[in-house]
Amino acid sequence: MADHMIPRERCEFSAIVDRPPLKLPGYARLVLWSIVNYEVWDIARPMARQVIPAPTGQALLPDVPNWSWHEYGMRVGAWRFFDLFARLKIRPTLATNARVCEDYPRVAEQAKRDGWEFMGHAYDQMPIHKQDDQAGMINKSMDILERFTGKRPVGWLGPGLTQTLDTPELLVAAGVKYIGDWVYDDEPTVIRTANGSLVTLPYTVELNDIPMMIVQHHESDYLLKRAIDQFDRLYAEGKERAKIMALAIHPYISGQPHRIKYLETIYDYVNRFEGVLHWNGAEILDWYNTTRDRKAVAA
Amino acid sequence: MNAPDGRMLPTDRLAYSAIDARPALKLPDGARMVVWVIVNVEEWDATAPMPRTVLTPPAGGSPSPDVPNWAWHEYGNRVGFWRMLKVFDEFAIPAVLAINGSAIAAYRPIVDAAVARKWEFIGHGFTQRNMQKVPDERADIRKTAEVILQATGVRPRGWLGPGLTETWETPDLLMEEGYDYVCDWVLDDQPVWLKTRTRPIANVPYTQECNDVAMMLIQHHKASEYRDRALDQFEQIYADAKDSARVMALVLHPYIMGAPHRLKYFRETIETIRKKRDVLFWTGAQILDWFVKVGPKKP
Repeated sequence: MADHMIPRERCEFSAIVDRPPLKLPGYARLVLWSIVNYEVWDIARPMARQVIPAPTGQALLPDVPNWSWHEYGMRVGAWRFFDLFARLKIRPTLATNARVCEDYPRVAEQAKRDGWEFMGHAYDQMPIHKQDDQAGMINKSMDILERFTGKRPVGWLGPGLTQTLDTPELLVAAGVKYIGDWVYDDEPTVIRTANGSLVTLPYTVELNDIPMMIVQHHESDYLLKRAIDQFDRLYAEGKERAKIMALAIHPYISGQPHRIKYLETIYDYVNRFEGVLHWNGAEILDWYNTTRDRKAVAA
Repeated sequence: MNAPDGRMLPTDRLAYSAIDARPALKLPDGARMVVWVIVNVEEWDATAPMPRTVLTPPAGGSPSPDVPNWAWHEYGNRVGFWRMLKVFDEFAIPAVLAINGSAIAAYRPIVDAAVARKWEFIGHGFTQRNMQKVPDERADIRKTAEVILQATGVRPRGWLGPGLTETWETPDLLMEEGYDYVCDWVLDDQPVWLKTRTRPIANVPYTQECNDVAMMLIQHHKASEYRDRALDQFEQIYADAKDSARVMALVLHPYIMGAPHRLKYFRETIETIRKKRDVLFWTGAQILDWFVKVGPKKP
């Protein structure tokens, strides 16, 4: 591993105030980037997250209660997401385990039919550090999604955003153009890899139902409150420089009956404002690349 | 008086003292209390375990490298700090920058912004790790002072251990290396003197209560709790300070309170406190110099 770049070698520190502002088309101030995460939790392994630990706190296999908690998201919760985005005519990014196409073809077909952007998200849900053949897993995942949708994905999100030091090289080699794992800015950035450059898009661990609901244990309505606070601030800053606000959701969390109304209300709120674009990751990437090209020509 | 192995226990360094039994401390011009605001700027080594995490990997564990949590912290220095800076400028209050020695070179624009505003720099470990795991504590303390002196032209007078950690020897080493005060002893509303094996060192009241790490990352409160608790804390200390001055600390980290959805609660805290005419916003060094002048003699 010693010969792989650490993050600081891939991209120098840069204070946002020292960069020329990015501009969105028209008078737009902010892009709302919605990311839905669909996953496969293999019943033979420990569950990715737990809503209820076993009595005495021991990790038990199989972990049926937590497997079914997640399964509810695919059977029921996901359909609340499909309804919401169809009604609003928003085509979000779908960060999806490739195995969703095999285990849940009904769900994957619906996302394809609704025109969602498919983003690579590993084969199934386990930390990338535990993969014996990471390059093989990445290629296999990208190939499955390409076969399923007819188009090779341009985006990638690690499971739980996990990366090893050589992951960026492997992703570029597999045809990935942007990643969501680097939540270190409000703007896209470019990082170096041995196989060419890679764009980071500002995904989020702040406006994300896993840290908020499963790690920090906030009440359901806090997703709406934090989203409004986040939006108000970024929208104000968007007057001077383009801002991207990511919102990351999972069907087994935000697709629950007691949470879905707070998610729906976020969209009601932001859609009252002028200059808000609903773009997916591929659309943000296209805009960013065009902006960079124009700058390169001007220079 | 010392333990048999020669080390000084906390009670060897200072005797118990009830705050109501001490002679009154008086601030200049009839001021009632002092508020000091400490901003913590850290560099997290991408090759080591992260000091804090917002997101655990699927199925748990602590994989290395931990890119998502590294990036989450880096956001604070690229974006969050610059958002916080506007609050200090708007209300014309000074901050104390508790900074890792290694962060001086890593985040030069932050150092420049703090120097331009005449903020006080205090040592905060050369790197962000437990002082008990630092191989040569004296060298760490000395090197931190040297890089701060080189970057700012002023030798740091104060010290805050990373995560407030100390060894049995820390106060002795700090005094011997030329520091005048420490912040790790959160045991009073007024400065106190700690005996060391040479001359006594002062402790200026820092806080674990109005501290965004404790509140947001450990206790998982919602963002507005920072403001609500700070104002409750302020009201009580203001009342307590009727006859003898007290000190209130407010602690923040760019990667926590600098998030878009949290910043306004820090701003509202300062906006409210700033309206009180008999409350001083001082640096740690100003508090120390006042205490040396009006407080009890060094033991």
